[in-house]
Amino acid sequence: MTIDRPTTLPPAWAESLLRLLLRPEDRDSISGDLLEEYRESIVPVLGATANRWYVRQVASYVLRATWAWGVIVAAICVWRYLLDTLVPIHYTPGVIALRSAVMSWALIATFSGCAGWHAWRTRHLRAGVLLTLIAATIGGYLGMAGRLVCLAISHGPETMAAIEGSGGLFEGFPGAPVQLVIAAFITCIPGAIAGRIAGTAYDWSSANTKSA
Amino acid sequence: MALVLGSFEQAVLVAIMRLQDDAYGRAIFKGVEERLQRDVAPGAVHATLDRLEQKGLLSSKLGSGTPVRAGRARRYYRVKPAGVRALNEARAAVDNIWRGLKWPLVKARSMA
Repeated sequence: MTIDRPTTLPPAWAESLLRLLLRPEDRDSISGDLLEEYRESIVPVLGATANRWYVRQVASYVLRATWAWGVIVAAICVWRYLLDTLVPIHYTPGVIALRSAVMSWALIATFSGCAGWHAWRTRHLRAGVLLTLIAATIGGYLGMAGRLVCLAISHGPETMAAIEGSGGLFEGFPGAPVQLVIAAFITCIPGAIAGRIAGTAYDWSSANTKSA
Repeated sequence: MALVLGSFEQAVLVAIMRLQDDAYGRAIFKGVEERLQRDVAPGAVHATLDRLEQKGLLSSKLGSGTPVRAGRARRYYRVKPAGVRALNEARAAVDNIWRGLKWPLVKARSMA
């Protein structure tokens, strides 16, 4: 099999994803750098497996854009776990406890902030939503790992009773990441729309300032 | 207070200084790989370039594309005077740490 280097293309979905998450001013330069490296250095050496290299690079850009948000989500989940196991309270059905409300609003703020920031940065609504879902997934699994570490450190009868009293083991393991992604999808959309509108307004005002 | 540059930031700035007018993204990460003698993720270099530009140590402008990049523009970087100052300070700090020692180091004498 011969590979025509100048016209070899990386996976279209990976290139679209990369361009989606970059700022408009970096979209051509960064995707061009990766394409040049892929064609000039990677395809001649790795041949048919060059696509894997390209996908790995795109994954590293996605991870750079989302890991910090994922850590915030995980920190909120671990904080709630520690509060429920160290300072347990009796949950009354139908009554929202203060800690539940604080956690919910902290997660809503994080998801909205993540979506808004990325929609503003990339000027793409889809980027805001997609990167928030990825951040929620990372946060969900990091949070689960954090709670597992806490559970490994302290798993006496009192801790287990406190976990049962706050929703049971399944709520945290392994249900939490799925719940977080669903919650992120619902709550990030207003943030993404706000970020996109702010981006457009900023571009409009910058263009008017330059032309004035 | 002087800006403290990490070793990766120094490698990126030095690569740009060496490349002069040809300092665009891919050439820079090739230069950094050559200097550090290890594989470098393009994402790490792009993130560092962005950070250094925000710190006011670099400036950039878009150039033309080439067929191998599907015509996509290259972004060319230039080290600003503040960047040169920061590099000089980083080099002086390393020299200061090593002053009085012969390199390479020989095995340290036993404490016993």
